[in-house]
Amino acid sequence: MVVIELGTALAAIGAGVAIGFAGLGSGLGQGIAAAGSVGAVAEDNDMFARGIIFTALPETQAIYGFLIAILLLVFSGLLGGGKGLDVSSGLVAIGVGASIGFAGLGSGMGQGIAAASSVGAVVEDNDMFARGIIFTALPETQAIYGFLIAILLMVFGGILGG
Amino acid sequence: MAEDLTTIITSLGITNESFLAIVVIVLLVIGAVVVVIVSRPVLDIYPYLLPNAKIRARKGRLFDEKQFADFIEADSGKEIIHYLRGFPDYSFHVDTHFEKDLIATAVNHQIEKVLDIQLGETYNLISRIVPDNIKKVFKVLAKKSDIENIKTLLVSKEANLTNEKTEELLIPVGSLYHTFEQLIDSRTVEDVVAGLDGTEYGSVLENALNNYKETKTVLHLESALDKYYLESLLSAANVPAEDNTRILYSYIGSQVDIANLKIILRSKVDGLNYETIAPHIIEDGYQIKEWKLKDLIESENVTGIINGLENTDYFPVLNETVDIYNESGSVSIFEKALDSYLSNYANSLALKNPLGVGPIIGYTNKKEKEIKNLKIIVRAKREAGLSQSALEEMLL
Repeated sequence: MVVIELGTALAAIGAGVAIGFAGLGSGLGQGIAAAGSVGAVAEDNDMFARGIIFTALPETQAIYGFLIAILLLVFSGLLGGGKGLDVSSGLVAIGVGASIGFAGLGSGMGQGIAAASSVGAVVEDNDMFARGIIFTALPETQAIYGFLIAILLMVFGGILGG
Repeated sequence: MAEDLTTIITSLGITNESFLAIVVIVLLVIGAVVVVIVSRPVLDIYPYLLPNAKIRARKGRLFDEKQFADFIEADSGKEIIHYLRGFPDYSFHVDTHFEKDLIATAVNHQIEKVLDIQLGETYNLISRIVPDNIKKVFKVLAKKSDIENIKTLLVSKEANLTNEKTEELLIPVGSLYHTFEQLIDSRTVEDVVAGLDGTEYGSVLENALNNYKETKTVLHLESALDKYYLESLLSAANVPAEDNTRILYSYIGSQVDIANLKIILRSKVDGLNYETIAPHIIEDGYQIKEWKLKDLIESENVTGIINGLENTDYFPVLNETVDIYNESGSVSIFEKALDSYLSNYANSLALKNPLGVGPIIGYTNKKEKEIKNLKIIVRAKREAGLSQSALEEMLL
């Protein structure tokens, strides 16, 4: 039986929180954007490409969560067989996961709502495309903050490069 | 520090496995709370995403100012039909229902029929795609075609039109169209009313039939249908359980207020008394409730009615136009101002509630306005010598 240290097990929970909540936000956001896009494409076939673009935007939160989760798994020794983490680093890892997880959840949902609204605006008026993209990109910043803090926590919490 | 934490955990008598379980449970609880909180607004928005996208696509296809200018500049009804044929929303109906080589007056009637079909099908489409919690209201709205068809049958019988002419005037939309087709053969107004027995309009018309028999004018029957329609609409909307239904109720209620105000203003100008006006009034509304309606009907004159509306949104709208009314003496000034208010109100609801019922209300109002304006243009084309600027003035 594989023996996992407590710190490493906590890092595994952190990885789960990172991809779990970021993926939830991303999924909800994409679902919201896709529902709006399908309605637009049903009325106007030319909306397909633009609908895909708006629907793809809330994907980024899941990518950030996925990256952080992979980093946690690798540097906690779960992947690649390195040395495990102590308890305090494990708790830091949960903070890392919570940082990108919750930021990704809010950001993904917000982006999905903005994307659905933008799709509606574009199908009504083609000239709204660029402005719709800008408004939809704005909720991305919260996910970027979460991602940056997660990286900083890993670096200064001794998980990355420790 | 790691040792300190491990010591604390051990001193509390918690094993590593128990500590992990506690961390997982705490995270699950936090996660569940977060998901419940954030999913609430999503659940409110979600049912409207698909219909709103479809509606906004259609809103984008409504005629803009430049296109309306082209209609206004058209020389004849035939040119308008030719122009309408270029738009997907109208081309099918134009090709299906438009007979070639019609005389000029018939062209105008046919255009109006095409416009009515388009509006009727728009109501049907909206009632099919809107979320369940507001579907009832739009199903009532879709009955407008049925009511227009009943009015056509009644007027046709009153005016002794031929069966062919009556059939030509009926709009082939609505759930009761086939019933109406069978009623074309009716000989009198009473026969039409009797033929509608068993439908929801049967008792409404039966109750107004005595007035018809006394006056020999179908106006009472038409008024009874209008009243029934607005009461049904208000009753369907009068379950304001959440934001979207509340907003829809405010819009429908405002429509009822405006219908009541139009009747009261026109009746007052015509010098009608309380007993004559009261039966045509819907006894409730959004801003003007039953007691206020009574006061308004009993007002001495138009100024009294407007002053009685203080503390409602209708006061500034009507007060601004009093001077124009005093100059022209035409009550249609007020009617146009009230229609314009409703249009602006629908637009503001669309902007304030873009992820809910707002765009549906905004589109419905704009579509109705588009059809009304096209009808005004078509009718104006019958009038020789009407200038374009005069026609523009007439538009809503």
